Amino acid sequence: MKVVEINDVFKTYHDTEVEVKAVNGVTLSFERGDFAVIVGPSGSGKTTLLNLIGGLDQPTAGEIIVAGHRLSELKPSELIDFRMEHVGFVFQSYNLIPVLTASENVGFIMSLQKWPKEKRIARTDEMLQSVGLADRHKSRPAQLSGGQQQRVAVARALAPRPEFILADEPTANLDTKSAETLLDIMEKLNREEEMTFIFSTHDARVVKRARRVITLEDGKVVSDERTNHNS
Amino acid sequence: MITSIAWKNVWRNRTRSLTVIAAVTVGVFAGVFAMAAINSSIVQRIDAAVNEELSHIQVNNPGFRGSCDIANVIADPEKVGSVLEETPGVTHVTARIIVRGIASTSAGSAGVEITGIDVEKEQQMFAVKQRLIPGTGSYFGTDTRLNSAFIGEKLAKELYIIRYILTEESFTTLEAEDVPEEVVGKLRPLENQRFTTEKKLSEACSGLLTEKEVKTYGMKIKEAAWSYREGSKVILTFLDANGTQTGAAFRISGIFRTNNDFFEAFSVFVPRDELLRLTGMEEGQYHRIIARLEDDDLTDNASASVKEALPGLEVMNWKQIQTDLAMIADYINQIYGIFMVLILAALAFGIVNTMLMAVLERTRELGMLSAIGMNRRRVFSMIMLESIFLSIVGGFAGMAVSAIVIAITNHTGINLVKYSEGLEAFGYSAHLYPTIGADFFIMLTVMIVITGIVSAIYPARKALQLNPVEALRGE
Repeated sequence: MKVVEINDVFKTYHDTEVEVKAVNGVTLSFERGDFAVIVGPSGSGKTTLLNLIGGLDQPTAGEIIVAGHRLSELKPSELIDFRMEHVGFVFQSYNLIPVLTASENVGFIMSLQKWPKEKRIARTDEMLQSVGLADRHKSRPAQLSGGQQQRVAVARALAPRPEFILADEPTANLDTKSAETLLDIMEKLNREEEMTFIFSTHDARVVKRARRVITLEDGKVVSDERTNHNS
Repeated sequence: MITSIAWKNVWRNRTRSLTVIAAVTVGVFAGVFAMAAINSSIVQRIDAAVNEELSHIQVNNPGFRGSCDIANVIADPEKVGSVLEETPGVTHVTARIIVRGIASTSAGSAGVEITGIDVEKEQQMFAVKQRLIPGTGSYFGTDTRLNSAFIGEKLAKELYIIRYILTEESFTTLEAEDVPEEVVGKLRPLENQRFTTEKKLSEACSGLLTEKEVKTYGMKIKEAAWSYREGSKVILTFLDANGTQTGAAFRISGIFRTNNDFFEAFSVFVPRDELLRLTGMEEGQYHRIIARLEDDDLTDNASASVKEALPGLEVMNWKQIQTDLAMIADYINQIYGIFMVLILAALAFGIVNTMLMAVLERTRELGMLSAIGMNRRRVFSMIMLESIFLSIVGGFAGMAVSAIVIAITNHTGINLVKYSEGLEAFGYSAHLYPTIGADFFIMLTVMIVITGIVSAIYPARKALQLNPVEALRGE
């Protein structure tokens, strides 16, 4: 089942007098349960493509359909609701809410979605358990290591059961051990919850685990390979 | 959740938030306390006017107030009395005879208004008796003989009934009031000398004491030297009902001290029956009938209803008699509002600045919140709530400090004796007892919340203008 369809999408920036085609005619689709990475050199358009899929940005041309929604037809306010309902984000810099505890951070999107309190608490506990931080539920981000913060960010993204997770360089700031632990958790959640993960990364550790590797160069897909790696 | 985040965000940068909260606290305290002090002066003046001088409603023959002619009596006093007594809220009614005349002693004379009162009823309606200076009489007590008069301190001074003598007792009093022995010693040459006026005593003291000593202890010296000869008499002269000049010697049955120099200098109270006899007026003839209400707030309605029931008579309430007082009370209310708006407007700039810094510092976080689905309304509410919390914490702290300081100063009073001459010339007390109504605090709370909301608009708009992609790329 297709979760994301990208049809001949362009994204052009006008930097003073120069026209920059960050995404240049990309056509792709992602299936439920994909564990895909988008790789490519800096400036190849990875993050821009991720932003377009996540509804953070609008394409200059082309069409992106996510869970039946044509993103170009949504108003800015509808795009925010769309992101809340359908997309889970994991950022390079964790981006947790510093004044909230790990538990409150995980439950934050669910509270925006107005989940009943009991269900929200149960799901939060379940997710913290899954990422191995049940004992740190009362800790604030500043009291957690980088790896632990990123695990909380993954739990936050997954907790409301979005259509897919967009992870932009999620391991870039992590040491090897933390990165491996995080990837183990993501693989497990991909397997157990059949959650679709789309990564943008330079990190070979992530590429090694991916079941699909899409390579971008100058905004174009130059390869889209399915690997034999079996998580 | 948004409320909880907003509250926690307030305390992210404690120093900055506490600085703004302290500024709001000080601003609100300054505003509230200043207004409580000003308000107390007006409240005390109105209180004195109603309780000592005017009461709430006065009914006169229409020609009496302008001419003060003894012949301008109320035509049907019984009807007036019953109308007043039946008016809702009226607690007491009394009738007065009023003549203008001259009060004189061997040393001086002054024009006065002589009011014949029903002593028993007036005691229940007015607080002038409580203003009796101890040791000057008993306010028409049982020991008082016929032809007795109750007069103000200012008039007593003008008639030289009050003098200033520094006796051994005065020196003991001064020492008991912590006046240094050295100062008391310097005053010894004035022992048992009589000074007919305060001015003369001050001049004599100035010749013996330093300027600083006069400034510091002058008031205590005057009070210690204040002397009244018990049983003093005053001659009251006026026209009787036939237009013939008449008069009699009245023994002083007490001297009252109020904050209103004019009232003190012009008012002489005598028992009504004595004045009735001396003027030759008939029993049951009165110039003025006065009503007292259970509550000041009933004044307008009660006086309107009395006026309607007594079309041929002049019916006035205290606001209409002392229009300046009513006007000042209204004016002060408006000043309250303007004063507080100005203070809060100044504080709003501080809050805007703090909130703007908070928003700009959190660009990336706000971008993340927008990315994960926090809509514009929620972002706006969060910033708005942070600003309101800052304002409310500071505002409530300011109000709490104000309430405590007002309670203390209301008990101890604020001494403005240095300015007593000027203040009392206009009827205002030199001792302020700050007071302010609960309704003012309610209004202030609303104003503080509005300040918080208004202060948040610009920073919140800035937060809404953030593009999540650019904000996330930032830092």
